[in-house]
Amino acid sequence: MSDDRPVDRRQYLTAVGVGGLTAVAGCAGGGDGGDGDDGSDGGDGGDGDDGSDGGDGGDGDDGSDGGDETTETITIGSDIPYAPFEYRNEAGDLIGFDVDIAEAVFSGQLGLDYEFQETGFDGIIPSLNNANFRVIMSAMTINEQRAESVDFSDPYFTAFQTVLVLEGDDISAREDLQGETVGVQRGTTGEAAAEDLQEEFDGDLEIESYDQITGAFDALLNNQVSAVINDNTVSAEFAAENDGVVFLEGDGVAADRDDAPPYLTLTIEEYGIAFRQDDDEFREEVNGALAAIRENGTYDEIYNEYFEA
Amino acid sequence: MATQTESESNAGGVLMRDRLVKRVGEAVAAGFVLAIGGLLAWILSTQVDYRLLSSPLIARRFAEAFFLVVRIVAISSVLSVSFGLLVGLGRISTSDVTGRIAKGYVEFFRGTPLLFQLFVIYFGVPRLWATGQFPISDWAVPAAIIGLTLNHAAYVGEAIRGGIDAVPEGQMEAARSLGMSRVMALREVVLPQAWRNALAAIGNDQIILVKDTSLLTVIAVPEIMSVFRNINSNQLDPWTPLVWVCVLYLVITMSMSQLVNGLERRSDWGSDSGMLGWLSGLSSKGGDGGDNS
Repeated sequence: MSDDRPVDRRQYLTAVGVGGLTAVAGCAGGGDGGDGDDGSDGGDGGDGDDGSDGGDGGDGDDGSDGGDETTETITIGSDIPYAPFEYRNEAGDLIGFDVDIAEAVFSGQLGLDYEFQETGFDGIIPSLNNANFRVIMSAMTINEQRAESVDFSDPYFTAFQTVLVLEGDDISAREDLQGETVGVQRGTTGEAAAEDLQEEFDGDLEIESYDQITGAFDALLNNQVSAVINDNTVSAEFAAENDGVVFLEGDGVAADRDDAPPYLTLTIEEYGIAFRQDDDEFREEVNGALAAIRENGTYDEIYNEYFEA
Repeated sequence: MATQTESESNAGGVLMRDRLVKRVGEAVAAGFVLAIGGLLAWILSTQVDYRLLSSPLIARRFAEAFFLVVRIVAISSVLSVSFGLLVGLGRISTSDVTGRIAKGYVEFFRGTPLLFQLFVIYFGVPRLWATGQFPISDWAVPAAIIGLTLNHAAYVGEAIRGGIDAVPEGQMEAARSLGMSRVMALREVVLPQAWRNALAAIGNDQIILVKDTSLLTVIAVPEIMSVFRNINSNQLDPWTPLVWVCVLYLVITMSMSQLVNGLERRSDWGSDSGMLGWLSGLSSKGGDGGDNS
C-alpha cells in the first residue's frame, strides 16, 4: 500500500508538470498573437490549452473570427463605477448611459449577446489589446494618443472637462488653481487636462491620481484636494448629490457652443467605443448600429433618461 | 509505469539514490534558470524601449517615488517594530486585560486586509469631520504610515511573542532564582534571546512592509506603482516602466535583508553586542532606580 503512494504522487506531479508547461506555452503564445507579428505560432499554443482565451489572442493574423461573431458573446471592458455612464444601483444591477447604448447597439441592432467586464481605466487599452474583452465602452474620450493603439467607433457622446470645487473655497477662477492640489482619475483625459494645466502653471499644480473617480470625489470632500478635474456629466451627478460641491465658473474653451455647460470648460471631448485595430469589420457594423439608433430615436430616449436637458 | 514496478521491488526506490536526486535537482534548477533567463532576455530585447527606459524625465519621477517609499518605509519600520514590541509584551503579560487587548489588536490587524485598513484611515477618518473641514490636507502619507505601522505592529508583535515563547522556561526561572523581578528578568535575560529568535521573522515582515507600500497607489500616494501606472497609461508600454519598478523594489528589499543579516550576526547567543542588549543596556542605567524601589 504505502509503496503505491509515491508513485501516484509522481504521476500526479508529472501530469501537473506537463499541464504547467503547456500553460506557459499558451501564455507566451497568447502574447505573440496579440502582437500580430507571428500569430500562427501563438494561436496554436493558446488553443491547445484554454481555447477561448488563447484563440482570441491568436486571431490577430486573419479574419477567421468573422465567422463565429454571431454566436460569440461580446465582452465589453468598462471601468465601473463612473456614474451616470456605468454604475450599479442599490440592487447591484449595472446601469448607465453606456450600458443602455450597449443594449441598443449590440442586442437591439446587431442581435448579439454581450456582457460587461469590470476593469481599471488606466490599463484598459492594453487589456483590450491583450484580448481580455472585445471592445471598450467606458465613457472613453477619442484622442490621438489612444487612437495609435486602438480604433474608435464614430463618436456617441460629447463631454467637457470641468472643475469641481467646494463652495466658499477661495478658488473662483481658473488662475486660482495655481499652487493648489487637484484630484483626477488615473489614466483619464481629466488627468491629461490637469497635466496640461500643470504645464501652463510651470509645474505649480499638484495632481493626485485616484484609481476610481469616486476616490477623487472623496478626496475633495475630505480636504485632500482643492478641486477635481473630470468629465462634466459625471461631475454634475456628484455635485447634485453633495451640498457644497459646485462647478468652477468661467468661460472655457466651449463657451461659444450651444451645448456647452454654463461653467468653466477645459477641453471638449467625444466618447467612442474602442476596438482592436484588426477588428474593422465589427467596428463598421457597430458604426452602422450607432447611426441606426440615432435615427430611430432610441439614442435620444436614452440620452434624455440620463441627461435631461 | 516502469518506475512503479521498480519502486515496489525496492522500498524507497529512486529516493534512496542521493547522487541521482542531487543531479536531477541540478538539472531542474538549471532548466529553470535557462527558461526564465531566456524569457527575460527575450523580453529585454524585444519589449523594452531603451530610449524610454533611460529618459531622464521618467528616471526623475521614479527617483522621487523611490525616495518617498524609502522615507515611508523607514518611518513605518521603526514605528511598527517599536509598537510591535509593546504588542508582543502585551501578549505575554500576566495581566488578563493587557493580554486580551493585545490579542484583540493582533486578531483585528492581522485579520483584515491592509487595503481595508488604508481605506478606513484615508477615506473613512476624514469623513468624521464636516465636508472640507478635515484639518490635515496632506493626509495620504500620514495615513499610509499609520496604516503600515498598525498593520505590521501586529505581525511584529506575534514574532516577538514567538521569540519569547521559544526561550526555555529555565532561563526565566534561573533569573528569578537570582532574585530578579519578572520584568527585570524579561529585560535582562529573556528579551535579548527572544530578539535573536524573532529577528528572522521580523525581518521577513519588514520586507513584506516594503512590498505593501505598493498598495498605497490606491490612496493617491505617488509611490513606485503609481508612477508605473501613470507611465503605462500614457505610453501604453508596460515592460519598460516595469523594469524600473522591479529594480527599485529589489534595491530596497535587498538592502533590508542585508540589514537583517547584519543584525542577526550582531545578536549572537550570549553576546552583549545584540541590538536589544545594547538598547536595554542604555535604558537600564536610567531605569534601575525605579525597579528597585
